[in-house]
Amino acid sequence: MIISCIIVEDLQVAANYLTNCCEKSGSVEVKGHFSNVPDALSFLNNHTVDLIFLDVEMPGANGFELLDQIAFSPKVILTTSKTEYAYNAFQYNVSDYLMKPFTYQRFVEALQKIQPSKETISTNSASDHIYIKTDGKLIRLNNDAILYIESMGDYVKFVTNDNKKYITHNTIKNLEEKVSKDHFLKVHRSYIVNLHKIDDMRENLLFIKGNEIPVSKANKADVFRRLNIV
Amino acid sequence: MNNPSDVNSFIFNAEIDSNYLHSLYGDDYVYLHEVFATVLNDYESLTDNIEFNYSSGNLNALKAAVHKIKPVFGFVGMTAVQQECQHFEDLCGTVASPEILNRDFEALKNKMFQSKLVIEEEMKKLEIFNSQSA
Repeated sequence: MIISCIIVEDLQVAANYLTNCCEKSGSVEVKGHFSNVPDALSFLNNHTVDLIFLDVEMPGANGFELLDQIAFSPKVILTTSKTEYAYNAFQYNVSDYLMKPFTYQRFVEALQKIQPSKETISTNSASDHIYIKTDGKLIRLNNDAILYIESMGDYVKFVTNDNKKYITHNTIKNLEEKVSKDHFLKVHRSYIVNLHKIDDMRENLLFIKGNEIPVSKANKADVFRRLNIV
Repeated sequence: MNNPSDVNSFIFNAEIDSNYLHSLYGDDYVYLHEVFATVLNDYESLTDNIEFNYSSGNLNALKAAVHKIKPVFGFVGMTAVQQECQHFEDLCGTVASPEILNRDFEALKNKMFQSKLVIEEEMKKLEIFNSQSA
């Protein structure tokens, strides 16, 4: 499988090196290199990619501001050495950090982390249930029992109407394609909600049985389209 | 630091960790020449940015500017200078204004100037080496 990517990096030597690593791998196609967030955003408004190699500290807007503004959820590998971004990295579902300069072997290890974990969930989008692999067993969850799904880095948490939480190795991006479109909608890069369970919506927040779910600007229009507003 | 036996016949300046460079680029001296050239191309703007932010007294911007140039030294195998940049970055987080760092800043500035000379020299040597190997 060829992974499409862009490189957002203002240090030319680092961008060239990363491009070289991608070419050497034979599995990553570089769709573009951008040295600032506005240029990258302009490209991503018209194209989707599987992966972004993202430097955080750049002139003007920083890398996380780019992630705030795009309408899809690509995999992200940060190219920075600052551990103070760890909290943000968790929030933004960052797959790995590459500390510049990194070896080709380290680059390959980072790529391995972004391969989708399709073996951990079994479903089809027309089904009324899904199976998730957690605690060494497959558990059946009926669509109607699921309130929402929340990203936890390389894991996701299923929250059910009996207030149970099931954690499994997967990503929101992968689940978005697998869960029933009739029931579920991604409302934020870190959340998929069961549309049938929404109690109310206030500005950029959804409420489901007392749980507050953020709605991103990029997904808000989709939410309105899918709600049965009279 | 230097271990010429690991890197064929090219002998790097003692400031450069040849084994580290080999871990990044293998024996690709043509690409290595490109790396040195790219670094030199951006070097002045990176160091100017550091000087500007020091002069303007903007500690956070100074720290960010040093952070930005830091990996450049790694790309050319000057890992000790990379560590000095990290040290200076750390210092920026401990003081209230850049003036307090005057002595450290002058040392870093001098180091960056000397490093540029090394990088220029190595790039010329690589150019000759590659033309003789072609």
